[in-house]
Amino acid sequence: MAGIKELRVRIKSVGNIKQITRAMEMVASTKLRRFQDRAIASRPYSQEIAGLVKRLSSMLGDDVADQPLFNPGKGERSLVLLITSDRGLCGAYNTMLFREMEQWLKGRVAQGLSRETTDFFVYGRKGAQYLTSRGYSVKRFITDPPMEEVDYRTAALTGRMLVDEFETGEYKDVHVVFTAFESMVKYVPQIVPFLPLTPDSLGVADGAGASANNDAIMEPDAATIFESLVPRYLEIRIYNSLLESLTSEYASRRFAMKNATDAANDMQKELKGIYNRKRQENITKELLDIVGGSEAVK
Amino acid sequence: MAGTLSIRVITPERILLDTTCSSVSFPTVDGSVGVLSGHAPMVAAIGVGELAYKTESGAADSVFVAGGFAEVRDNVVRIVTDTSEPASEIDVERAVKAAERARRRLEQFESSEGEKLDILRARASLSRALMRELIAKKRR
Repeated sequence: MAGIKELRVRIKSVGNIKQITRAMEMVASTKLRRFQDRAIASRPYSQEIAGLVKRLSSMLGDDVADQPLFNPGKGERSLVLLITSDRGLCGAYNTMLFREMEQWLKGRVAQGLSRETTDFFVYGRKGAQYLTSRGYSVKRFITDPPMEEVDYRTAALTGRMLVDEFETGEYKDVHVVFTAFESMVKYVPQIVPFLPLTPDSLGVADGAGASANNDAIMEPDAATIFESLVPRYLEIRIYNSLLESLTSEYASRRFAMKNATDAANDMQKELKGIYNRKRQENITKELLDIVGGSEAVK
Repeated sequence: MAGTLSIRVITPERILLDTTCSSVSFPTVDGSVGVLSGHAPMVAAIGVGELAYKTESGAADSVFVAGGFAEVRDNVVRIVTDTSEPASEIDVERAVKAAERARRRLEQFESSEGEKLDILRARASLSRALMRELIAKKRR
């Protein structure tokens, strides 16, 4: 049975933890808002780019399939960009992502592709630790700039690196594993094919949509524009995946810290109850002693 | 007087410009293009240079753009670019330094028969820097 002194110490330490978790919750809230704003700010751009890709590719019709990046590479290997967090204390954020990825990898093993045929590019220390400790081949661990300072330029660089790797022909495809932000309480780990591109994934409408736009002037010409458009499209996809992952991370962290603060509150209340009861008991006991003592003296 | 058209400059970070104007001109890879109200639909690849526009009251302003795409449709000019800043936000000092750096690199590569890609890159960064400087000086 804990003594009254020990109880006092515990109440205090629970209070300290509560303060810390509450501070972390608030930090996560502000960061969450910042990343969310950025994700919203990038939406018009990605919509425009996606719209252009769609219109141009339906204009080009079947020629699209001849463009580079539309055909799987010759190699046997696969490349995966995994986006995790640098820091922990963010609930099940990373775990959920790893579980989803393991399942996907298992599915590939079932298709006869061994574990060794997958190379990784990783964002976030947690992911790098996870992969290296399990013996996966981490080709690149992207730490510069740190995750939280990603901007479009650096995301674009990563996108270009992935495209370069794909263009060597060593990889037959490239996937991105990240967490999609659906709402404040819903973040869904996702594995999406990144390369090669397919006309379907660009949302090409057959025939119908094509004719309406055919009369547009092309400067210089549709194929050339398309060729320089595709890299931008891929870059913005990486940027968006990063922003969504970061938003999910902070939403998840805020949620986890809120739970921790609430739990600390409950615990503190409970401990206080026990403490007060104990204290009362002691006082009663002491009173009885005094009363008993004075009775005896009479 | 011709009608107005709206212009939007969209970057991954923000919507840089969203306004109505009476005329716009922007650089494409094959030279500058001017757009007035009622222009035919067009899609163009943007080069490096100045996007200049005139508001209805006649005031002129410009924005630096490098790369990206322009789409003209239904009197809306959409500029989708990843590198762009309004004249007022151009860091002239930085541009001057970048130009110097690019010049040095160009000399170095040309004398030592550097790789073609390096030369291209240095040239591109030189033209970006010079355009930035030019626009900033013009609008101040």
